[in-house]
Amino acid sequence: MTRDATPEQSLLEARIKVPQHVVYRSFPSETVVLNLQTGKYHGLNPVAGRMLAVLAEAESVRDAAAVAAGDYEQSSEATELDMCNLCNALLERGLIEIDGSGTC
Amino acid sequence: MAVVRAELKRGQLAAEIIAAYVRAQCELRRVPIATVVERLRAGRSPQRAVDPYALEEARRLGRAVVRTLTLLPGDTRCLGRSLVLMQLLSRRGISAQLVIGTRPSPDFLAHAWIEHDGEPVLSPGDGSFGRLVSL
Repeated sequence: MTRDATPEQSLLEARIKVPQHVVYRSFPSETVVLNLQTGKYHGLNPVAGRMLAVLAEAESVRDAAAVAAGDYEQSSEATELDMCNLCNALLERGLIEIDGSGTC
Repeated sequence: MAVVRAELKRGQLAAEIIAAYVRAQCELRRVPIATVVERLRAGRSPQRAVDPYALEEARRLGRAVVRTLTLLPGDTRCLGRSLVLMQLLSRRGISAQLVIGTRPSPDFLAHAWIEHDGEPVLSPGDGSFGRLVSL
């Protein structure tokens, strides 16, 4: 009998990509994100901005959380939760996408 | 006679600017900005070979765009001006990039301007805007 992964577990294994129509730039006070399709600007605090940058490069959300945990000296568990919450918020706003190419 | 010709030319340019403004506003209402830029660039004249006067002409046209649009009602701020100028430059075979910059503090502001070969031909602001994207 197999156990289905929770949505959070699935998200942690997923690879995130920042679509071409989303651009962002980090400033000292915040990261500004522009969705060129909607014309809307979004602001991320410095921690969320750093997480976005790490997500864009990481092979999975879990890997990104591990990097962030190191950066901020937090437990992996807490960072994974924060990372998932951030991903869900960014997904809702169309600022990131789950890379459908899959992982090995 | 020369004065009449000059006035006529100025009038023609003003008409071209106004038409370009109307077109840009219509497109902005319908499609995303990156698509607007593609559409406004479509049908451009072949790009000029290295032309030492292109930048000067681009800036001259930029000043004309700002002067003309200042007199119009409606939203004639930086993005509108930039899209108008982009059309004028494209028609003349002068390359143009739309640059969008932002400044998150003290109050969030975004600004758009046009560059030709990396040189601003509309004001890039007061130097406080960080470049976000170039289209």
